[in-house]
Amino acid sequence: MINLSTGAFFTRSTRQIGTLRAEANRLQQQVGSGEKLARSSEDPVAAARLRTLSRQERLATIDQGTSDRATHNLQLTDSSLGSIADVITRAQVLATQAANATLPPAQRAAIGIEVEDLRQALLLIANGRDGAGGALFGGEGAGAAYVESDGVVTYAGSPETAPFELGEGQQVIPGLTGPEVLAFDVDGAPSDLFTVLGQLATALQGDVADPAGAAREALSGLDAGLEKVTTAQTIIGARMGWVELMDNRRLGMGELMAEERDSIGGADLATTITKLQEVMTVLEATQASFVKLSSLSLFSLLR
Amino acid sequence: MASDLLSIAASGARAARGALDVTAQNIANASTDGYVRRSVGMEEVSAAGGLLRTGDLSLSGVRIGGIDRNADMFRQAEVRRTTSDLSRASAELNGLENIESAVEQAGLYSAITEFEASLQQLAVDPSDPSLRAAALASAETMAQKFNIADSSTSSAAEGLRFEAGAAVDQANVLGGELARVNLRLTRAGAGSSDRASLLDQRDILLEQLSGIATISTSFAADGGVSVRLGGSTGPLFVTGGAAGAIGMSTAADGTISYDLDGTALSLSGGSLAGAALALGEAASVRARLDALAEGIATTANDAQANGTALDGTAGQPLFDGVGAAGMRVALTSGSGLATAGAGQPAGSRDGSNLAALRQALVVEGPAEQTNALLFDISARVQSRTLTHEALDTIAASARITLEQQAGVDLDTEATNLIRFQQAFQASARAMQISTELFDTLLGLG
Repeated sequence: MINLSTGAFFTRSTRQIGTLRAEANRLQQQVGSGEKLARSSEDPVAAARLRTLSRQERLATIDQGTSDRATHNLQLTDSSLGSIADVITRAQVLATQAANATLPPAQRAAIGIEVEDLRQALLLIANGRDGAGGALFGGEGAGAAYVESDGVVTYAGSPETAPFELGEGQQVIPGLTGPEVLAFDVDGAPSDLFTVLGQLATALQGDVADPAGAAREALSGLDAGLEKVTTAQTIIGARMGWVELMDNRRLGMGELMAEERDSIGGADLATTITKLQEVMTVLEATQASFVKLSSLSLFSLLR
Repeated sequence: MASDLLSIAASGARAARGALDVTAQNIANASTDGYVRRSVGMEEVSAAGGLLRTGDLSLSGVRIGGIDRNADMFRQAEVRRTTSDLSRASAELNGLENIESAVEQAGLYSAITEFEASLQQLAVDPSDPSLRAAALASAETMAQKFNIADSSTSSAAEGLRFEAGAAVDQANVLGGELARVNLRLTRAGAGSSDRASLLDQRDILLEQLSGIATISTSFAADGGVSVRLGGSTGPLFVTGGAAGAIGMSTAADGTISYDLDGTALSLSGGSLAGAALALGEAASVRARLDALAEGIATTANDAQANGTALDGTAGQPLFDGVGAAGMRVALTSGSGLATAGAGQPAGSRDGSNLAALRQALVVEGPAEQTNALLFDISARVQSRTLTHEALDTIAASARITLEQQAGVDLDTEATNLIRFQQAFQASARAMQISTELFDTLLGLG
């Protein structure tokens, strides 16, 4: 005879209802938090992947910040290069005027003064600051990019600009050093724009015997300078394109990561609620049948 | 004639009363823990016919032969065995879950990521004082997270040791109780209700003891039990009226071991075994945390020594302290971070040494190591959870099987009530008939 003891019946019912309640509770938690995992041990592999994803997302945020900063510096450099090109163009116009041998010396001297002003303006532009307050054309140097003493302008920055990391091992150099923009060779001899403008200014103000000839010579130096600046503008443009490409790539990767995070760790609302409903239906049925069965006692029939 | 109708009927009524009492006792104890259903054994009382009186009736009625206790030794042993396994798994799982929470909720992984992220941000402009301060702050946060992870792991271990100590005390109390029950069993009469309740008590004690440690039992004829710890070849814990004393000792790394009166115990089940296993895990987690913290500290300090701080001086160590518990940031200001290479002037924006530090951290891989540590712990918790679920089901079904056999079924008891009530009424009727017979005889005259 199978002796179904009362105690065993209650123990089993408690277990069944308890298990169902725990399951319903777990599902309810998932609906509430939107997360499938409350703790790592529920799915260690998924949890480890989620940790890695959150790390990548965090580092990508830093990369995005760096990228924004690089873009800003590149834009500043670009607009400065535009101004330098304007200065050179104006100097070319003035040099061409001064090269005219029929020009009276007084007017040529006046042109010389304007060229001197242009040189000062160039110095101001070359000593511009970037977004963080560092010298825009000074590389990693701590102070100003160019220093003037006794009328001679010398480069005081570092020889290179440190690259910014854009993530995935890619880098971009977020600017140019002064010599990369302003130094060039004239007739095989190294020179720079400050020297060319300085010599032109002093020559036009009567320092040399043939100022018109000096102006003609300066023109070739100015041509070389303009060419250098135009090249620099092209380089900066290419770098800005590269940064933008990396931005787009990061955006795409970010979307993929968000998608993966959602599919690994996110609780799908429709599925979870359907499951919860199922568990609740079973729970209610169990409870109802428990109440029916437990009221079936022989004692209630004995009179 | 050797029979007496009245006394036969009286003995029947007495036996039925006794059976009704036992039924009522069963009903009253239907939900008492460890109560095993009693049943009444009835015996006929009669004498064999003697010489020359072979045709005589010599009937004397019925008597209660004894109170039977319907316990199945095998099912009880199964319950004890499965309880041992289950409580080992429970204790181990509980401990492991605490360790998992301790390491996971300390937020170690995100703190390490944040430290690396702040270094990455600093690389953009190594001379920026606010970025330096941010990097130093994140280093401090990381050191504190290491401290927290270590202290919460060690307090989880402390809790485990406390529980194990309490379980050892309880096991000693249970051993003493069992010895006392053994003594009383030698004095209890066979088949008495006193003996049945002592046996109930003995089984409850054995079950509780099996939850604490693996036991192997052997029973004497009078129901007394001798208990060995850790299996059938283990040392004797309780024999007759004597019980040994279990002791616990803690090693330097926080793991524990047990002994019985000085003999080392190897336990495969029970909460004591579970606590020892979980403490072993806690010790290994703490060792890994220490190695991780020291790895980061050494990497950062080595890099610092090769570089130049913002004020142009040689870099000083970033971290000091021993292990995860002692890790702290030694630098007082962000300007002490040696981001520039050796020989750079004060205020340099050079970031070559910072790049070297970041590269060294990539090689060291503290984030990956932490991820692996968390994965190991959580994978262990997951596998123990599965084991625990399986053992829980096994233990529950063993208990339900025992309860089905040994527990009280109210419907059966209700039936018994009617049956014995009818038996009582029938005996009373027999008494009435014997009176009527007597009256008939008296009325003849």
